[in-house]
Amino acid sequence: MNNQNKIQTCTLGELMIYQIALSIEDGILAFHGFGSPLVQLALHLAKRNHAPNLVLVAGATYGINPTPAFLTPTTNDFAMNRDAECHLTIEELFDLAASGRLGRMFLSGLQIDRWGNMNVTRLGNDERISLKLPGGGGGCNLSADADHVTIWTAAHRTHADEHGRRRYRLANRCDFITSVGHRTAEGLPRAGMPYRGSGPDCIVTDLGVFGFNQEGHVQLRALYPDTSVEMIAESTEFDLPVAADLSTAALPEPEMIEFIRRLDPLKIHQRELSSADRGRFFQLKEA
Amino acid sequence: MYTQNDKRCSLTELVAHIQNGDCLAIGGGLSWREPMAALRELIRQNIKDLKLVGSAHGIDVDLLCGAGSVAVSAESYVGFEQDFGMALNYRRACETGAVKVEDNCCYSLVQQLRAAIQGLPFMPIRSVQGTDFLKLHPEFKTMTCPFTGEQLVLVPALKPDVALIHAHYADEHGNLHIEGPPVADVLFAKASKKVIATVEALIPHDELAKKGVTIPYFYVTAICEVPYGAHPTSCYPNYAYDREHTASYYQAAKHGADSFNQNYLTPFVHDCKDHDAYLLAVGGKARLACLEQWDQSMEKWMQLYE
Repeated sequence: MNNQNKIQTCTLGELMIYQIALSIEDGILAFHGFGSPLVQLALHLAKRNHAPNLVLVAGATYGINPTPAFLTPTTNDFAMNRDAECHLTIEELFDLAASGRLGRMFLSGLQIDRWGNMNVTRLGNDERISLKLPGGGGGCNLSADADHVTIWTAAHRTHADEHGRRRYRLANRCDFITSVGHRTAEGLPRAGMPYRGSGPDCIVTDLGVFGFNQEGHVQLRALYPDTSVEMIAESTEFDLPVAADLSTAALPEPEMIEFIRRLDPLKIHQRELSSADRGRFFQLKEA
Repeated sequence: MYTQNDKRCSLTELVAHIQNGDCLAIGGGLSWREPMAALRELIRQNIKDLKLVGSAHGIDVDLLCGAGSVAVSAESYVGFEQDFGMALNYRRACETGAVKVEDNCCYSLVQQLRAAIQGLPFMPIRSVQGTDFLKLHPEFKTMTCPFTGEQLVLVPALKPDVALIHAHYADEHGNLHIEGPPVADVLFAKASKKVIATVEALIPHDELAKKGVTIPYFYVTAICEVPYGAHPTSCYPNYAYDREHTASYYQAAKHGADSFNQNYLTPFVHDCKDHDAYLLAVGGKARLACLEQWDQSMEKWMQLYE
């Protein structure tokens, strides 16, 4: 209690975790995958907060509703899977998705295009790979099968090099399409594909919160207290539509922040953030 | 069917079941229960040109890439998550072209293994179309479903030559017991032509039956008792992940292929004549006791990650 009373600011990481958590509906089955500490914390926060009936499937262990001892930097760890109520096998999780019973999945990319297609496979082309990325795990399958997808990235902000060039995270095109969004690279709509799921409906970045418009195009929905439309446009390679009801993203409550800090004493989630972003704090409103 | 009464053999004999050019399915996942002792032996035996298939992996695949044992990677993820980031030996090998990239996705792989297990030529899936994986896998075909009219992707049966697994327990007959997440090990075991396993301990069949048989003996070709055989990955509840050793591994890889050879492969693989010599090289009993004591207190457990 005393701790909570002292919490007067939240970090960027905690704001992103809260925003990801807000995308999670109560009563669904959701899977946090691996290499995704912000998402892992968001699922636990959602379950404790507004989604008590969430069927929370831990990535890599496939344990259901665990109470992690603490967040570890490696996802397939007993600490992450402590007291899981029951377990799925790898085939069962993916079968649930294929049969339309995975409510939400969380995916990221080194390149994210305007339709929500993403690349985590490689930069370069078929003849020459300039950067081999780790690969997408089951993201390719789940981007088609999951009912909904939340996209997240903590590296939206770009910096120009000495020649004024930028390597965009939200980019015009993906060098390789690992997971699918609302339209193919050629602009053909998702409706023409026999996918189960309806695609991404939310992107949470280090600069703001985004949705998708009627055409399936990324659209800015909410700023953070220290970001602006201009700043976000500068870090986005494609032209960015802005929602008519653009708002400022809500900050988490002190008890939520306290919960996150307790669950992640090693601050693993901050490893997703740039060192500059680890210094971003937001003043909570007076109670 | 592998029906002999006694499947025990030495680690050298076990690994000799893998041939140059084989399609190898490595069990475990990420930092959990990788058959590391067997992989180090594979490198010592200079087995080459492997095609690796799997779901989410890390140091196991990276080590083989660093040692030049791999020709093709059809894994779906190879990395060290937020722990250290990209798998550097794997990355180098893919970017120079030494390893041909045939990345796969978890469910596509699961369905390919299931087709093999069920004796079917393929399994259908809805996903993958619309992505660039179809270019990496020209063997995947599309067809119109005769029942629904939907366009589906057909992924062909995949029968790895060898599945290499590290389990907690086996009996002499080859029944295996795995505690905790089996990841894709059971699928690998049922789909592969041969299954070879290292285990933390060999125990009498009665004891194993009480714990439960995860993989029945007749799938299993050969077994070898190799305590701490997953090190530096974890084999809970026996021992936790050795992050400190993995950090030194990563440092060696970070400074290039020569550094990795000199500072990791030489001292921890080539200069260790066997697994016992390796365990001494990584800190012996004192270090292993530290990893075994993960469950004594939350503080001790957390310290392993600091």
